[in-house]
Amino acid sequence: MNKKKIKYLFHVVSHPFDGFYEVRHREQGSVLLALILILLFGLSFSLNRQYAGFVVNDINPRTVNTVTEVIAIFAFVLLFSTANWSITCLMEGEGRFKDILTITGYSMTPMVLTFLPATLISQFIASGEEAFYYLLLFVSIGWFVILLLIGVMTIHNFTIGKTMITLCLTCVSMLVIIFLLSLLLSLVQQVYLFLESIYTEILFRI
Amino acid sequence: MKKRDSILMMIMIPFLTIAFFVNGIQVLADDEVPYVTYNFDYWEDIVYTPAAYLPDSNLSGAVIGTTNFSSPQDLCVTEDGILYIVDTGNNRIVVCNFYSGTFHFVREITGFDHNGSKDTFNGPSGICISQNERIYIADTNNKRVVALEMDGTLYQIIENPQSESFSDDFEFKPTKVTVDYADRAYVIAAGVFEGIMCFDANGEFTGYSGTINVHITPIEKIWRKFSTKAQRARQTLFIPTEFTGVDIDQKGFIYATNIDSEGTQSVRRLNPRGEDVIKKGDGVKISGDKFFIPVGDYGGASHIVDVVYREHGIYSCIDSTRGRIFTYDHEGNLLYIFGGLGSQSGTFKTPVAIESYDDKILALDAQRGEVLCFKSTEYGQLINDAVSLRYDGDEKQAVEVWKKVLNLNANFELAYVGIGKAYLSSGDNKTAMKYLKLGMDREYYSIAYKRYRNEWLKEHLNMILTAGIVIIGGSVIFNKVRKHRKGDKKYE
Repeated sequence: MNKKKIKYLFHVVSHPFDGFYEVRHREQGSVLLALILILLFGLSFSLNRQYAGFVVNDINPRTVNTVTEVIAIFAFVLLFSTANWSITCLMEGEGRFKDILTITGYSMTPMVLTFLPATLISQFIASGEEAFYYLLLFVSIGWFVILLLIGVMTIHNFTIGKTMITLCLTCVSMLVIIFLLSLLLSLVQQVYLFLESIYTEILFRI
Repeated sequence: MKKRDSILMMIMIPFLTIAFFVNGIQVLADDEVPYVTYNFDYWEDIVYTPAAYLPDSNLSGAVIGTTNFSSPQDLCVTEDGILYIVDTGNNRIVVCNFYSGTFHFVREITGFDHNGSKDTFNGPSGICISQNERIYIADTNNKRVVALEMDGTLYQIIENPQSESFSDDFEFKPTKVTVDYADRAYVIAAGVFEGIMCFDANGEFTGYSGTINVHITPIEKIWRKFSTKAQRARQTLFIPTEFTGVDIDQKGFIYATNIDSEGTQSVRRLNPRGEDVIKKGDGVKISGDKFFIPVGDYGGASHIVDVVYREHGIYSCIDSTRGRIFTYDHEGNLLYIFGGLGSQSGTFKTPVAIESYDDKILALDAQRGEVLCFKSTEYGQLINDAVSLRYDGDEKQAVEVWKKVLNLNANFELAYVGIGKAYLSSGDNKTAMKYLKLGMDREYYSIAYKRYRNEWLKEHLNMILTAGIVIIGGSVIFNKVRKHRKGDKKYE
């Protein structure tokens, strides 16, 4: 990751079709940068939850936990990327896992850039003026969604319709992955308990 | 220097410890309270508080020297401290006197003279003393409401109400009754789901008050669409809940309780047109416990069985699921919670009715056949005083009382709001902001903040404008100079 790639990030955000194509085919993207962006988003999201102004903040500060939130966002991104990768592999998508991770991270840039200023602005807002704050948030989230959509479309070389279908299927496969994970977890737990009881049995008999 | 300090500390520590223990011996209210006292904060989390009311004395049949009560269902207290207890199982009304802190038996009413012949009660379960000094008794199994004069002579009997809306097999079984200043009777009757039955001064049925609308969720609607006729017939009917208890304030507004299994609203304040006009915040629940375990004997929403309007907009209601008494102010804020189930003195088995007199709250327990009397502590009294002052519009004086409340319980949000509002009206916006934020009152915080922001802008407008002009002017000059230099270079 060098200075050029950081500069290129802003080109991607403002010219998504062109930018994501370069990311896929000319190695202009950086996975590390994407991971840093995800981390920054996690932090700014958590900061927003904790420090947004009193008038717009209806979150119980006792429920805010930055570490859990950042980990949850990473886990979610990983889940999405895996699910999307497994679906697009079957649907002749051209993107690699690396590309999916990169575009997800890059798409978060508008949110990373607006959440902190929005939090700052919310400190100076009274009731009746919340619209400014929410507008800022909505624009950044909307931008993120559009970027993600274009990103998935471009790196896999899909049409818009096919992208929609793959995204729906991605959601389904995310659920399947979660189901399998929980199944695996309970299975491992049972095996562990079985071994543990054998161990205690042996301990008592000898 | 450091060494001397530490030696000083060494000497001080034993003294401090002793001082701490000596102070620690002072009697805390919680030491003798047989129940937990708590309140809910803005997030609906439980916050433990000092006890607002403590068990004071008990009144049973044996205490006042008469036969024990058998499943009493209602009680009523007049303003001069005379207590009327409906002893349902013994078909009588017991009248007690309440002075110098103890109860004294006065008389019992077992019947009355009905057109020359002696008439008795049959399972009476509700009573009310009207403002015109008459005793109204819901004589349930005799299907009538009997109104007696204070000397026991018959004044009126309300029975056999007539209306086209009744079905043919309608039976009038009044359970609770209350009367307003114009002698209109409001009766809760068993099996009547349309609301509270209203009777005029002549005892004629005039209509219903406070009908509770049935709430059907969309899922239930869809489910019913798909089920067959036979299935539909066997499903539970969507009928509104019945009212459980009723009381009236001086202005003629009816306070009525009903059972809400979801725990949203169990107390209603009905205006003369029968509409609910209770004041409460958006999404605020007035149904006892805001947080509860959904299942089990001790779980489920509070089962509010009776309400009493006290004074200055304060009303208390009693829950039979967990035996707790919840007190609200005129804006629907929870003030304090106390009471509990158990077998200790001061706890309930089956609470059925609540009344208040002076600084005391009286609650009737049907299973024990006892009236439990609770007396306010300093904490409870301070809250009552502060709320009363605020209700009367004397916010400035209330601040001093709220501050005393905060000394006893620093987690009481309403006190912060009270103080904050007073600061706001006196113009100290910054302090108001601090207190209103502590009290989690966004609406008033916002007002205070707007005023504070305007003030700040007014004060600093000169500086901001000067700074703006300097920055703009500076950048213009800077650009010009730079261009000039570049131009110079080009020229060279």
